[in-house]
Amino acid sequence: MQQRVLSIVLLIGVCFSLSLLVSAMSVWRVPDNQQGYAPQQPIAYSHRLHAGVLQIDCKFCHSAAVSSRYAGIPASDVCMKCHRFVTAPYDQMLQELQLADKEGRPPKTIISPELRKLYDSMALDDNLQPIPGRTPQSIPWVRVHNLPDYACFNHQAHVTAGVTCQQCHGPVETMDRMQQFSTLSMGWCVNCHRDATRDGVNGRAVQASTDCSVCHH
Amino acid sequence: MVEVRQQRKPKPSPVRVREAWENLRPTLITGDKQPADVTRDICAPLDRRPTALWWWAFLVAFTALVVGATAVTYQIAVGIGTWGLNRTVGWAFDITNFVFWVGIGHAGTLISAVLFLFRQKWRTSVNRSAEAMTLFAVVCAGLFPVIHMGRPWLAFWMAPYPNTRGPLWVNFKSPLLWDVFAISTYLLISAVFWYVGLIPDLATIRDRSQSVWRRRLAGIFSLGWNGSAKTWHRYETVYLLLAGLATPLVFSVHTIVSMDFATAVIPGWHTTIFPPYFVAGAIFSGLAMVLTLMIIARKVMRLEDYITVRHVEAMCKLMLSMGCIVGLAYGTEFFIAAYSGNSYEQFLFINRALGPFRWAYWTMVSCNVLIPQLLWLRAVRRNIILVFLISIVVNIGMWFERFVIIVTSLHRDFLPSSWASYQPTIIEVATLLGSFGLFFSCFLLFCRFIPVIAMAEVKGVLRAPHHPQEQDALQGDAA
Amino acid sequence: MRQTPSDTQSIDADVPSHLYAPAGQVVSADASSELSRRQFLEAAGFTISLAAIGGCGRAPVQHALPPPKLPVGMIPGQLRYYASTCAGCPASCGLLVGTRDGRPLKMEGLPEHPLSRGGLCAVGQALPIGLYDSQRLVSPLRAGQPAEWVVIDQEIAQSLAQFKGQQKMVRLVSSTVTSPTLQAGIDSFLKQFADGEHVVFDAVSCAAILDAHAATHSVRVLPHYRFERAATVVSFEADFLGTWISPVEFTAAWSTRRNPQPGMPEMSYHVQFESRMSLTGSNADRRYAIHPQEQGPLVGRLTELVAARVGAPLSARLAPAIDIDQERVLANLVERLWQTRGQSLVISDSQDTGVQRCVNYINHLLGNYDHTLELARYSRQRQGNDRDVEQLVEDLTSDRVGALLVTDVDLLHALANCDGMADAIDRIPVTISCAPRVDEFASHAKYVCPDHHALESWYDAEPIASLVSLGQPTLAPLGNTRSVLESLAAWSGQPTDVGAAIRLHWKSVVFPRRLAQATASFAEFWDNALRDGFVEVEPEPVNIREFASTSIRPLIHPAATNAFSLVLYANVGMPDARHAHNPWLQELPDPVTKITWGNCVSISSGDAERLGIQDGDVVSVSAGRDGPRLELPAFIQVGQHEGSLAIALAYGCKGTDRFAKIGPQWFQAEPTVPELGLVGVNAASFLEFRNGTLRYQRSGVTLAKTGTHRELAATQQHNSLELPADVAPFGAERREIVQFTTLAAFAKDVHAGAPEQHHASEPQLWPEDHSKTGHAWGMVIDLNKCTGCSACVIACQSENNVPVVGYDEVRRQREMHWLRIDRYYTTAFQDISVLHQPMMCQHCDNAPCETVCPVLATVHSSEGLNEQIYNRCVGTRYCANNCPFKVRRFNWFEYPRNDSLKNLVLNPEVTVRSRGVMEKCSMCVQRIEAARIVARTQGQPIADGAIQTACQQSCPANAIVFGDMNDPTSGIHAARENPRIFRVLEELNVRPSVSYLRVVRNRGEEALRG
Repeated sequence: MQQRVLSIVLLIGVCFSLSLLVSAMSVWRVPDNQQGYAPQQPIAYSHRLHAGVLQIDCKFCHSAAVSSRYAGIPASDVCMKCHRFVTAPYDQMLQELQLADKEGRPPKTIISPELRKLYDSMALDDNLQPIPGRTPQSIPWVRVHNLPDYACFNHQAHVTAGVTCQQCHGPVETMDRMQQFSTLSMGWCVNCHRDATRDGVNGRAVQASTDCSVCHH
Repeated sequence: MVEVRQQRKPKPSPVRVREAWENLRPTLITGDKQPADVTRDICAPLDRRPTALWWWAFLVAFTALVVGATAVTYQIAVGIGTWGLNRTVGWAFDITNFVFWVGIGHAGTLISAVLFLFRQKWRTSVNRSAEAMTLFAVVCAGLFPVIHMGRPWLAFWMAPYPNTRGPLWVNFKSPLLWDVFAISTYLLISAVFWYVGLIPDLATIRDRSQSVWRRRLAGIFSLGWNGSAKTWHRYETVYLLLAGLATPLVFSVHTIVSMDFATAVIPGWHTTIFPPYFVAGAIFSGLAMVLTLMIIARKVMRLEDYITVRHVEAMCKLMLSMGCIVGLAYGTEFFIAAYSGNSYEQFLFINRALGPFRWAYWTMVSCNVLIPQLLWLRAVRRNIILVFLISIVVNIGMWFERFVIIVTSLHRDFLPSSWASYQPTIIEVATLLGSFGLFFSCFLLFCRFIPVIAMAEVKGVLRAPHHPQEQDALQGDAA
Repeated sequence: MRQTPSDTQSIDADVPSHLYAPAGQVVSADASSELSRRQFLEAAGFTISLAAIGGCGRAPVQHALPPPKLPVGMIPGQLRYYASTCAGCPASCGLLVGTRDGRPLKMEGLPEHPLSRGGLCAVGQALPIGLYDSQRLVSPLRAGQPAEWVVIDQEIAQSLAQFKGQQKMVRLVSSTVTSPTLQAGIDSFLKQFADGEHVVFDAVSCAAILDAHAATHSVRVLPHYRFERAATVVSFEADFLGTWISPVEFTAAWSTRRNPQPGMPEMSYHVQFESRMSLTGSNADRRYAIHPQEQGPLVGRLTELVAARVGAPLSARLAPAIDIDQERVLANLVERLWQTRGQSLVISDSQDTGVQRCVNYINHLLGNYDHTLELARYSRQRQGNDRDVEQLVEDLTSDRVGALLVTDVDLLHALANCDGMADAIDRIPVTISCAPRVDEFASHAKYVCPDHHALESWYDAEPIASLVSLGQPTLAPLGNTRSVLESLAAWSGQPTDVGAAIRLHWKSVVFPRRLAQATASFAEFWDNALRDGFVEVEPEPVNIREFASTSIRPLIHPAATNAFSLVLYANVGMPDARHAHNPWLQELPDPVTKITWGNCVSISSGDAERLGIQDGDVVSVSAGRDGPRLELPAFIQVGQHEGSLAIALAYGCKGTDRFAKIGPQWFQAEPTVPELGLVGVNAASFLEFRNGTLRYQRSGVTLAKTGTHRELAATQQHNSLELPADVAPFGAERREIVQFTTLAAFAKDVHAGAPEQHHASEPQLWPEDHSKTGHAWGMVIDLNKCTGCSACVIACQSENNVPVVGYDEVRRQREMHWLRIDRYYTTAFQDISVLHQPMMCQHCDNAPCETVCPVLATVHSSEGLNEQIYNRCVGTRYCANNCPFKVRRFNWFEYPRNDSLKNLVLNPEVTVRSRGVMEKCSMCVQRIEAARIVARTQGQPIADGAIQTACQQSCPANAIVFGDMNDPTSGIHAARENPRIFRVLEELNVRPSVSYLRVVRNRGEEALRG
């Protein structure tokens, strides 16, 4: 009797510790795997809003992706293409407009705190006029996707081959804060190259070489 | 009176009987030891406080070890550039030491396993320390392939393990990888073999030791040995099996080590003779090292009765034969070079004997081939001092053999434009010193804490004192 | 991609230059170096991931700093080329500046350039490292202290004003000025002074040639030599393939005639008379070692013989008799010259005007003028006038000079032979230096007004009177420097901008000289010039008189002494002192001696034996008791004539002690410069003015051992194809590493020179494990064209981020150059002959290195490349041991990369290797990949020639062909059909992808010795 109780207790204990172990395993990852890395950015830019809601094409801002090794983090003046006019969330601006012609005065520009940072970096005042004596400064974006410098990934090659941005960067259009979707491990690259050569990319036959020097040179 | 005296039946002279007996069944252990004496004598050093001599020896060895460790630390911190290597000579001291130590290891396995299978009773007094030597030598050897890497912290990449690189495996074509497997297997087997042989003696220590701790430890490691006939029987079986398992390793390991060179394209390396040549060389150097150690041990540990001159002599004979095989190999190399008509090969060997490194070459030849010829003389074989010196000389010679093979082959290969010389830096010398320090430190500790002679086996070869013939021979003596 | 006019439209307005540095675009007129360095990293923000990667957990946070406003047409990470002009030396070769993210990174030859034809020498390749030099002056100095331009300009303008009336001399000293705009600027600047003169001083001058032409043709110009038209070239000491006047141009031209075809076995015949072994001599068909003092008599005798052959014998003997062998040699030579009259060329580097007159006369008699030498389209690449210099020295020492401006040349260093100069200069009221660093003169000058680096500034050049080329800035100035032209303008009271000034000058002077078929609109003319980098125009007329035979007079022949006579020469890697701060050039092995990091005195083996001198023994060289004296290591040079010594100039420059710790530092490391010393020693103290020219040859020099020894850092230890006699196996004394033959033998059998047994194809150990379909990259190097000039070595270094390792590492045989040039002497002919062989990874199909690597760090690509994967390498060095060609390079240390500015020179397409990994030639795989991506984007196969390896691109001789061996239409496929083809160590059956074309020397013998 006692024996049986004991063994039951032991069994429960073992199952419990096993489950603990498994759950621990699930969060464990190989060193250098940055998957899920989503650092705080100097400006809370939302891909969900721009790429998701507003349906802006990725390559509109990351234009270098089609013609260069780097997709390129857009220069601030690319933002200004729209944000010269869009200075705050749409509803706020609408309210101000209505308020303005109700009171019969010229609408003042409302500037949302995040965009304020952008204008500061461009050395623009509240009326988006250049502030004399100040030179525009770069925005210190934090790199999300860091490849070691011995691995050369070329955006142009992949965009040309018809690989969609999401295949590596994941559902960016749903991310408020950008995060690393894939492991970016060598195995991840190589397997995709193997599959691509076998099955093609989105229906197109491609020659995705697995020679080492394709990425390492 | 006279007749009476003449009628007396002559008694065989006891001396003559003893001689006849000697020839029939040689004495391996002198001093008419009883099993109890054996235990006492051999366990004595363990109980005694270590002698001053031991302390001095250990101090020297340990200092060397520390020096070596410092050198290696510096080299790993700063870079391989602190060695004297260059773009042409990419290996020198590092791999020389590696091959040297692996070679040293071999005699241990040979003596304990091969001679065991051949029922060579005389091995019993030497096999224990020979095996220990193997162990420590292989440890020293294993060190060098790691520290000779440009990025030793990535040494684990040599192991085929699942990874996130695709996965990316190791290159099974590479002899260097074969080494990894060969050496690790060798280390494992010899460790097990040594330990299994140790079990009965550990039990003895357990049973007779005063100190509680030693009793506990020995108790754990003797795996509850109870000297029953069953235990002995199992033990004998396991030991036999392990001996059978270890024997092929004697040949395989150094064969594979030799392939590091034999499979390369460099003249002087690219030779089919290397496997046998290396195995012979390994055993040769191993025997030399065993001799060196045994002669020291029997003095330091006062074991003259157990490691007798006839043991030494037997070893000398083995060594001589190996030396001759090695000499033959040297000759063959030259012949093949001349006979092959391969001008690169020919140049290499002329360059070895007459080029910038001729001093190394002739040191090697004289140490390995010429001087050992003295061992043809019985007087020399039985002269402990001389044998000791010769064993040292052979050790030196065998180190140079590897140095010659590696450096002289590399420094002037195909394109004259990239010929270069080689000169060791102090760091390399210190590293070599350190490996000796490591080896001797381990060995001295072994002498201190573990019976250097397999008591159980020695007892097996003691002369049974109650043998009838001998009895009356002794009575004859008495009369 | 190259600039197109549309790109350059924005460059078409008269706005200050720095506002349209075509890339980088981070502009600040008053940026300190620190500031612009940071801005640089902004522009280059996408490529700053050189931080250490690895370790567990999160990698260190990295920021990406896009510029607030991206420059027009700039695409991050994209390589763009801008046509420009090389400012490394007055030869002014065509230049293509490759820029990425606003950083000029890779200098390449401009293929369309009529002179350099796509070639570029080592010096030109090494320009960028001079640009990103943290020790360049970043602001003007006043009395050694940094100052503001405005302050300095004011002071200078005031102090210069006093000389406008007053009879004090104002002297502007510069090396040859090929820039028409700058010349105009200088002239107008000096015009305002009562006694202002421009003194042109070339550290290595050709004044005698100009003076000789002044005498014989009454125009003081340098003829434009046309080696491509010369069937017979006779050179007396002139190192025209190495350093003489315009080596790249001459190499390109010379090599066009070194290509014997099976159908027509013809090539030029090149004879060299010289005392030292020069690069040119090492490539000559016949090289005769002569004593430096024999040159005069030989030239004189040749003149007599030619005159006699032509039928216009001279009245008087020109020179004393020469010995009978030489007599015979000359006799044959004259015959050849006569056979090829009109397309022969005789040149000499003598600074004796008399000798040069004779040379002119020979060329005149042979009717070479207007064929192989052009005076109408004369060369402006050397304009130095030593008479002026001599005069200047006198004026200086006698305090007649009120203001001295020096640009482009270190007066004190180059004229170390003139005593009391330094003091004299200190006494001058106004001394201005425009040196980019504080050189010897600058350290004595009141004001140092640093010039831009060539890549930061607009400039133009007219190397040949009919070819004008433009240099455009490729980034904003890193420091607060200013172009000389602007400085001069500022001091003469009409400040201008160099870009605007050049444009203006072109509009007014160059444009009117345009060719008939050229466009009529200046804007278009300018755009074309900017896009092409050069424009051909009508030469300014020169009135050449009929040859004045009267000018041919007997030569003054110095009395022969039994002392040594010393020859001072310029090194191929270090042609003048301006490049002394360039570590790439300092570590470039000299093509002949293979020595790096400093100069030495070359001595003949005979003399060395006599004096018991070994390589590296420090000897003291002195001329007379109170004459100059210096100590430097000796080097026994094969082919050096007995009784002659040779020392390279342009060493021992101020500030080169900076390189003391350039190599890895550990407790046994030796400093790159000797204690308290400089890199090399300055041999200029042995120069002397004689008869109006600066002489690079000094007789009566004595040599003595000092007892000390400094090992020479040479990259090659065994120098000949013959094995050392004491260990050479019978019947295999020479190795067939470099195959060579004679033209006579080649004419008989196109395969002549191949070793007896042919190893066509041997059985394979294992079945083909890599496919032969698709691309198969390969290379063919024509050893008959290759002169060993070593431009490719630097090209490779700059393309592939090859580190500089310093004297000690080179001495330990650990140089890192991926591409080395093996130089072998052979005694196969009667005389010593020299063979050069570029050697890099041979990319074997059966690569011995691949099988032995335990971790698969070196593997074979599907396109026949042997790949080295640095990040996988654990550094067992097994591959290097097993490489028959010993082309693998190991990172013995972590080589210093702590100069953040210098790191901007790194090519972001190539990994920077860490300590403990192996590296080697990758056949510029990054260029292959780039070309592949471009081709795929355009949906086309990679065109033949779309990929050029760095070495191939820069090769002045065009000796290297790279391409797809599987493509039957490719250039390399054709090259591999050449009967002269061979592969090194064929017998090993490693099957290299790199092949060589056999050397053919234009000689009579059909069989070789030995």
